[in-house]
Amino acid sequence: MTIDWWTLGLQTVNALVLIWLLGRYLFGPVSAIIAERRAAAQADLDKAAAELEAARAAHSAAEATRDDVARQRADMLAAAQTEADAERTRLLAAAADEAAETRARTQSQIAQMQQTARAEISAEAAKLAANIARKALARLPDDILVAPFADGLTDAIAALPELARDRIGQDGPVTLRTARALTAAEETLIRQALSRALGRDIALTLLADASLIAGLELDAPTATVRNHLAADLTRIEAELAAHD
Amino acid sequence: MDNPLITEPLFHIGPVPIAEPVLVNWALMAVLGLGSALLTRRLSRTPSTAQTVAELFVSTIDGQISDTMNRDPAPYRGLIGSIFLFVLVANWSSLIPGIEPPTAHLETDAALALIVFVATVLYGIKNKGLRGYLATFAEPSWVMIPLNIVEQITRTFSLIVRLFGNVMSGVFVIGIVLSLAGLFLPIPLMALDLLTGAVQAYIFAVLATVFIGSAVGEGHAAPSMQKDPSHG
Repeated sequence: MTIDWWTLGLQTVNALVLIWLLGRYLFGPVSAIIAERRAAAQADLDKAAAELEAARAAHSAAEATRDDVARQRADMLAAAQTEADAERTRLLAAAADEAAETRARTQSQIAQMQQTARAEISAEAAKLAANIARKALARLPDDILVAPFADGLTDAIAALPELARDRIGQDGPVTLRTARALTAAEETLIRQALSRALGRDIALTLLADASLIAGLELDAPTATVRNHLAADLTRIEAELAAHD
Repeated sequence: MDNPLITEPLFHIGPVPIAEPVLVNWALMAVLGLGSALLTRRLSRTPSTAQTVAELFVSTIDGQISDTMNRDPAPYRGLIGSIFLFVLVANWSSLIPGIEPPTAHLETDAALALIVFVATVLYGIKNKGLRGYLATFAEPSWVMIPLNIVEQITRTFSLIVRLFGNVMSGVFVIGIVLSLAGLFLPIPLMALDLLTGAVQAYIFAVLATVFIGSAVGEGHAAPSMQKDPSHG
């Protein structure tokens, strides 16, 4: 076994040259393109990761905005609900007040109308009573229209306070109203009755007044003494009105 | 058949004898060099079929180096990849009628082993410094210095003999069978020779990687070759 040193040397050189050639034209370029693709892929991954992160951030921001909007909506709804409740309460109270006021006003109007109606009815009744009395008395003899009321008049004068009774006829003329003109006998009878009731004679001015219906009325500056149907009817009407 | 242990010159260039392995080697260099230049002339990010094959080849070489040395494969890619590719193509060149593979001659294998030996020393010195590299011969104890020196030489010889013996024997057996049995009978043996050639190329490259890796020491995985934990 021998070794050709020339061949060994040449093959060594050849191998070295081949290593250089392959490194220069095969392994270098191919590994470079692999590294380039890997770097591009890594860049794409980094970019995708950055975009993913940005998308997550945008998603978080959108969620925060949505939550904020929902919170604002809830707050606005709550405020609107509160305002609506307050407005409803106010409107109900106003309506209740208005209804109460209307009811009170209506009741007052009804009461007033009822009072007016009663007053009118009383007036009508008084007028009717006067007419009835007048018509009834028209059927009776004229004698009973004045003389029978003289005793009642003197009783009323007697019931007056003494001071008031003493002043009658001293402060001026006294008018004696009668339902019809007196006859001479009736005038004498009444003058005598008044003199007995007052304890003295007084000057009288006689005046016929059909509105008295029946009876007579003594009218002095300090006192008026009535004993006639018109006054009775007026008193009855007043008592009825007071009773209602 | 010629004696495979003797390399006869075909012609001389001046005083330099040119033997057949040298001529075949030149032809292989031309083919590999031109093929590489043509292949890598238009590389793009969207690779062609040929580019894909080339990238798969380079990636496989890188992966093998990284797995063996646990280092960035870039500084060793050209040497290891070229040795593997050359030995593979040289072994398979026996398929061409009349061509005897250069690796069937002792000088070619010795040249490759010599390059690996020198590269081992140079890479060791480059990574550890001269003192650090020499200190590795005293590991685990200075008593081991003679044995470590002998190991450096013997494993280089083992590279030579393993490759030479396997390829030469394959060529020799095929030649004997061809001379005895006829034209088609050696075909199964040639197919087996293809497998043997590929295995021997792989073994030679892996052993070269192991030798260089042991010289440069334990390293860290290249960033590009580290597995991403998030990807399992």
